[in-house]
Amino acid sequence: MVGNVIGAVVTVVAGIGAALLLYWIFNKFAESLPGVWEDRVKPYLYVLPAFAAIAVFLIYPTVQTIIDSFKNDDSSKFVGWKNFSTLFQSSDFLQTLYNNLLWMIVVPAVSIILGLLIAILADRLSPRSEKTAKTIVFLPMAISAVGAATVWRFMFAANPPGEAQVGLQNAIVTGLGGSPVAWMQQTTLHFNSLLLMVILLWGQVGFSMVLLSAAIKGVPTETLEAARIDGANEVQIFRRVIIPQISGTIITVFVTVLISVMKIFDIVYVMTDGNFNTNVIGVDFVNQLFTNFQNGLASAIVVILLVAVIPIVIYQIRTFKAQEA
Amino acid sequence: MRVRRVPQAVAATAAVALLVTACGSSSSSKGASATSGAAATSAAAAASSSGGAAATSAGTASAGAASGAAPASGAGFVPKLSGKNFGGKKITIWTSLDQPVIDGLSAKLDPEAKAEGINVVWSKVDNINQAIIAKVQANAAPDIATLPQPGIINGLATKGKVTALDSILDIPGLSKSMTAGTLDVSKVNGKVYGLMISMNVKGLVWYPKAAFTAAGYAAPTDLAGLDALTAKIKADGHTPWCVGLESGTATGWPATDWLENLVLKQSGLTVYGNWINHTVKFDSPEITKAATEFQNLTFPSGNTLGGQKSMTSNNFGTAGNPMFDAKPGCYMYMQGSFITGFFPKAVQKALDTQVGVFGLPPATAGGANPVEGGGDTASIYKDSPAAEEVMRLLSATSVGLTAAGNGSSFISPHKDFPLSAYPLKTTQTVAQVAYAATGFGFDASDAMPAAVGSGSFWKEMTNWVSGSENLQSALKNIDSSWPAS
Repeated sequence: MVGNVIGAVVTVVAGIGAALLLYWIFNKFAESLPGVWEDRVKPYLYVLPAFAAIAVFLIYPTVQTIIDSFKNDDSSKFVGWKNFSTLFQSSDFLQTLYNNLLWMIVVPAVSIILGLLIAILADRLSPRSEKTAKTIVFLPMAISAVGAATVWRFMFAANPPGEAQVGLQNAIVTGLGGSPVAWMQQTTLHFNSLLLMVILLWGQVGFSMVLLSAAIKGVPTETLEAARIDGANEVQIFRRVIIPQISGTIITVFVTVLISVMKIFDIVYVMTDGNFNTNVIGVDFVNQLFTNFQNGLASAIVVILLVAVIPIVIYQIRTFKAQEA
Repeated sequence: MRVRRVPQAVAATAAVALLVTACGSSSSSKGASATSGAAATSAAAAASSSGGAAATSAGTASAGAASGAAPASGAGFVPKLSGKNFGGKKITIWTSLDQPVIDGLSAKLDPEAKAEGINVVWSKVDNINQAIIAKVQANAAPDIATLPQPGIINGLATKGKVTALDSILDIPGLSKSMTAGTLDVSKVNGKVYGLMISMNVKGLVWYPKAAFTAAGYAAPTDLAGLDALTAKIKADGHTPWCVGLESGTATGWPATDWLENLVLKQSGLTVYGNWINHTVKFDSPEITKAATEFQNLTFPSGNTLGGQKSMTSNNFGTAGNPMFDAKPGCYMYMQGSFITGFFPKAVQKALDTQVGVFGLPPATAGGANPVEGGGDTASIYKDSPAAEEVMRLLSATSVGLTAAGNGSSFISPHKDFPLSAYPLKTTQTVAQVAYAATGFGFDASDAMPAAVGSGSFWKEMTNWVSGSENLQSALKNIDSSWPAS
């Protein structure tokens, strides 16, 4: 134990020392260069370690995953496109993709709408109640998704009729004389997936509210006053004056939420583990890799997810640059 | 300009330092474990050489051990000991048994081993399946380990990493003493590589004793009788079954237990064994028949508390508890011997008066009646005369006497084990179910490839029971998920 601690301390000190030494050598090397070359070369030398870290921990695994997606279950031989054709011929996987699509359509849109609504309504409160209201809405952001899902299990819990209902929703249903509903098994119109989305929304609305609220407060009051003088009503002001001025923020929030939704994993994993037709790509990947030991299929799923995320990331970076310019 | 750059440089430095530390610490821990393994090996070698020299006062020591090994009742298997003294040789036993079971076994075994100059050290290891494979590969295996998964023993035995017990233990004597089939669970090419030292029993039907007997119900003697009992309870206006398949990310496993038990009862051990290696398909008539029996017992409206849908949302641990309501929510709950630990505290305190239990009945009354169960199987991973002697001591029927009496979950795999050694009547009944078995089927889903055994088998059973898929396509999906190699 003591040995371990001493070992850890020694490695930390040695590691920091080595890194400092590295930068010191880089610096000396750059300073030894003549005139303008010092300033030309130095930034690249300083960036080099970070770039190396990204190459080792991001680019290398990505390339490896793409290669593995064309290999068999223990990555020992190449199988061509077989993993992808297996996935796209499996009705379960197509349902999984469909579920992901539902998440991508519903969650970002609803979190923008609710965030905007709360931001506008809170804007009209007294400063004190605005702070309180926003704090309450923002609070779930502080809870990890796994924690949130565990809490929500109690919302949706179902016990057989006649037994005490631990779940809040079923306590209400049975209290009103109904019989308990197994919420997580309501597959009609993907109702159970929608219930899972409520959990993510509960956590995400605070995020979009904070950003949108800041954007709304940034709208110059002169433009609002001018609109009022011109006789516009509140709805018109909102649609014609406020929305155009905060559209950049709306897009940013939308894309950020969209990317986090595409990677959705924890809530579904904790609540249903993808059972009852609620499976999503993230959960399917983990189950293929860690339960079924199908490296090939798992890598193929990740590659599909990667291909789907890339255009959105590019779009996000472009809009971000456009806003900065 | 220079000053402003400092914070960035520090941040980058810290990042690099973290990376270096991460790599450094993992390699250093690897080094540490390798050296500790080497140290253990050399220590063991030293001890064994001194053990050979110190085998002098053998006669008296073995006499003492033999008298200690004989159970008070005089019944059961008594191994023939070597009669040597091993001069303080240390034998390490790795196990993942519950601590009370370890305490009980160690209280009985350690003094007997001590009398022969063997110092037994029990070590409770979590994740023992992965740990033993890693240690065997690193040539740093413990002398003896008990594993809950015979598949791993068999895999290591095929690679020659486990010592065969045929010349060490009295196998013919043991096969008379032990529950039918328990010596076969880790048999490779006709040789026995593992000795089961503690067992658990599956396919047990638990019932609320008072209400069950007051209503005039009795344990059935064949599967038709179980159907009849289910129908009778329903006709009396009660709910026959409680079923709970929910288990977090392992949801569905209790359904696989149902299916496994029924396959075993209806089609016997041969089909069961062929099912595990997929020569009998899930889609076959035998497996479909077992699934249909499960369906007939529990799916019809009124047969299961909360109906078919609630089966997949009820947690396996608590699903049986409505049995103990003032007016029982159901009258039967099928689950393994471990489930008593999940019953309400008040029930656990008065288990014998509150709870009754019978084994799932055979297909025909008095016919072949194999039982499904599990168990921890001891094998030698580092052979030495002392390790062999400890295995002989472990093979005695009497080795479990203390563990059975100390309130642990221990059930001896020896069918000549004195039932009176179990303080609880419930445990006696459970043990009797196993001891009367004509064969022993180790949990099939545990023995199947992971993609099926803990993947598609669970998921497809869940889909079928929750009604989102029919039986035929569920079974077909499991078949198609069977790994190709």
